[in-house]
Amino acid sequence: MDQDVLTVLKLLMIGESNVGKSSILLRFTEDEFHENMQSTVGMDYRTKQVTIDGNTVKLAIWDTAGQERFRTLTPSYYRDGQGAILVYDVTDRVTFMKLETWLNELNTYCNKTDIIKMVVGNKIDLPNREVSTEEGLQFARRHQTLYIESSAKTADGIKCCFEELVQKIIQTPGLWDRHTLINSYGNGNMGGVRHRGQRGIQLADDTQLYNRPSNCYCSLI
Amino acid sequence: MEDYLPNEYDVVVVGTGMTESIVAAAASRIGKKVLHLDSDEYYGGLWATFNFDGLQKWIEDLKVSKSSAKDVSEVDLELEEKFLKTSNEYSTVENIEETWYISNDADLPVVSSKDTQTDSTGDGSGSGDEKSDDDKVEKKENVKQWSIDRIRKEYRKFNIDLAPKLLFARGELVELLISSNIARYAEFRAVSRVATFMDGKLTQVPCSRADVFANKTVSVVEKRMLMQLLTSCMEQGADSPEFDGFRDKTFLEYLNTKNLTPIVQHYVVQAIAMATEKTSCRDGVNRTKHFLNSLGRYGNTPFLWPMYGSGELPQCFCRLCAVFGGVYCLKRQLDGVVIHKNKCKAIISGKQRISLEHLVLGQGHLPPEVVASEGEQRISRGIFITDKSIMQGEKENLTLLYYPPEQPDQEPVTLIELGPSTNACPQGLFMVHMTCKRTTNAKEDLAYVVNKFLKAEPLDPLAIRSSIHSHTQTVSPDKRHIQEGDQDNREESTEESPKPQVLWSLYLNLPASDIKLNESTPSNLHLCSGPDLELDFDFAVNQAKSIFESMYPDKDFLPRAPDPEEIVLEGEEAPGPKFEGDTEAEEKQDVEKAEKED
Repeated sequence: MDQDVLTVLKLLMIGESNVGKSSILLRFTEDEFHENMQSTVGMDYRTKQVTIDGNTVKLAIWDTAGQERFRTLTPSYYRDGQGAILVYDVTDRVTFMKLETWLNELNTYCNKTDIIKMVVGNKIDLPNREVSTEEGLQFARRHQTLYIESSAKTADGIKCCFEELVQKIIQTPGLWDRHTLINSYGNGNMGGVRHRGQRGIQLADDTQLYNRPSNCYCSLI
Repeated sequence: MEDYLPNEYDVVVVGTGMTESIVAAAASRIGKKVLHLDSDEYYGGLWATFNFDGLQKWIEDLKVSKSSAKDVSEVDLELEEKFLKTSNEYSTVENIEETWYISNDADLPVVSSKDTQTDSTGDGSGSGDEKSDDDKVEKKENVKQWSIDRIRKEYRKFNIDLAPKLLFARGELVELLISSNIARYAEFRAVSRVATFMDGKLTQVPCSRADVFANKTVSVVEKRMLMQLLTSCMEQGADSPEFDGFRDKTFLEYLNTKNLTPIVQHYVVQAIAMATEKTSCRDGVNRTKHFLNSLGRYGNTPFLWPMYGSGELPQCFCRLCAVFGGVYCLKRQLDGVVIHKNKCKAIISGKQRISLEHLVLGQGHLPPEVVASEGEQRISRGIFITDKSIMQGEKENLTLLYYPPEQPDQEPVTLIELGPSTNACPQGLFMVHMTCKRTTNAKEDLAYVVNKFLKAEPLDPLAIRSSIHSHTQTVSPDKRHIQEGDQDNREESTEESPKPQVLWSLYLNLPASDIKLNESTPSNLHLCSGPDLELDFDFAVNQAKSIFESMYPDKDFLPRAPDPEEIVLEGEEAPGPKFEGDTEAEEKQDVEKAEKED
């Protein structure tokens, strides 16, 4: 199965608390929705394999683990992200205004200058909208990002959001590398593709994978 | 503006250094409610890694003394409670000296692209490899002159460590990262060579079979000698009868009885055990064993370097802490601690009183009242951006060099040289880190090593021009042979080989890592030390382990965190993330939200 995978992409969820980042993520990866979701505990990242335009890619979508609450995401969270989903709540103007700050932080820490950004206005199923589609679009245009409105509850726009983002990443040369999944065991170790194939070593239990023959004094005896 | 935090926790951790972060992760992992604060706006404290801009800001901020904490009179206390103000005096960085050795853009001569291309060829001349010269002529490398402006402009391509440390491939931290599954947040580079200074030049210490065979300096007899000695250290260990007569002797005294040749002895003492004349036999054997144990796991040497710098590692543990529910708040000052009947009851931070069961403090947040001794293991650091490697080779290397003192009043210096592939610096540059025990100040302590391996003099713009000129000449085809001849000579006497030019340097002194607390310190207040002098992270890992054990003696220390695919979540019923066993569960539909165990 992994042989057919074109690449692994690292996507980041970003935005204020309670805008529905984890809900969007869960709706997309497991097609689930929880009305009264507590703040993100135990959610590290989720993976999902998608096929877009005939290309199968594996997505590792990272959640904030609640570290966004006091704007304390670690710089290492942003590392090697190839796509970012910036979420706000259309019924809460403050979360929309804070996007600017999040975009700045993303630009500061993200080491890929051409990272693809998608702005998402979430919770469009709710009646008391405060931010219009036009405003959202304007923001996206000004910052040259993709834009979509969604509802994790009704699943509106969710699939589309990820598909458009992935499509754009695939169309951006230099942002990703075709590579075989060295660490595909357990589906765990993945952080996306490193620049120009310069992957670092990832530590794993199974030393056999890295054990090149006789790298030791003892082999002399 | 101050964020309002929930005000009751099991564990409050102040400071995001290595030890603090490991403890925070361990407590959160077993379901404890953790609050993790830092007064700085970045992670890592004295363990941090900065880009060039961030480092400049850090230096600036040190000049501005932080606003002092509030007085007792401002704090509302209950009966029999005592308020102790915290102090940042135990994390004071001293003797900061930053120097540029290059000019601004405006002062540089205009360099045509043809010149720069040939310049790269000239740089390669000391590589000691005949082939590479030809290769480099072909290569159209863009080697613009480095200026202050250019380094500032490319600030994001630098990752500069305050406390650079390596990991032994089978050391405490590697094992912990793997067993806890925190390894998924980090990536590493293998140190590609261990160097040593012998007979007036730098040589690579053979660590692998291939290295040993390729090594012409060591004879077959010596190779066997070396193997025998290493085997006895490795297999028998320090408690073996082999070392019985040397319990109170030095490692050197033991080696002297083994009739080793000077070369073999040099390898063992200076590169493998990284010992001095004073190192005890026991320590020497243990260090040798540690080195050998870690060989052959990941690369050519026993060592790993974290990509993007040592400062990444505390962040990995913080991430795990957060994933299991830990609350993070940076730029949040700790004003003091509230003591009641020899127990630490709460902290005061801004307007809030936050109660706790255990308080874990980085050494930059201790109330002076609990400190018994300020410690002696102070650290001198030197950081250098250079234009080439101290020991040029065919490919980019990540080098570790242990340099023993030349004079009795000097301290041994650990030198780590990082290239662009670690993300420490942009292409064309190297980052050199020097660390030693402080005796006077960083610049003086390190001077003898800096002078030995680096050219730390201002680079005159005129000198740049003339050097380009001469390089242009040396690449003409008929002269190349002469150059090759030169290199052959250099093999014997490396003194001639051009030293790396320092473009920028920073000296600083870090505080002592061996602060001791009073006997009367509340038993639920735990101290996390700053970066220590050792090469690796073992000290921090072991300190974190012992803090955790004293807090929760019956609990597992960082058991393996499940991979996302392994988590089956069931709203109210599930006490915590469960293992599913089936790791191929990507398409599973029944995955629910994680609920932390309370």
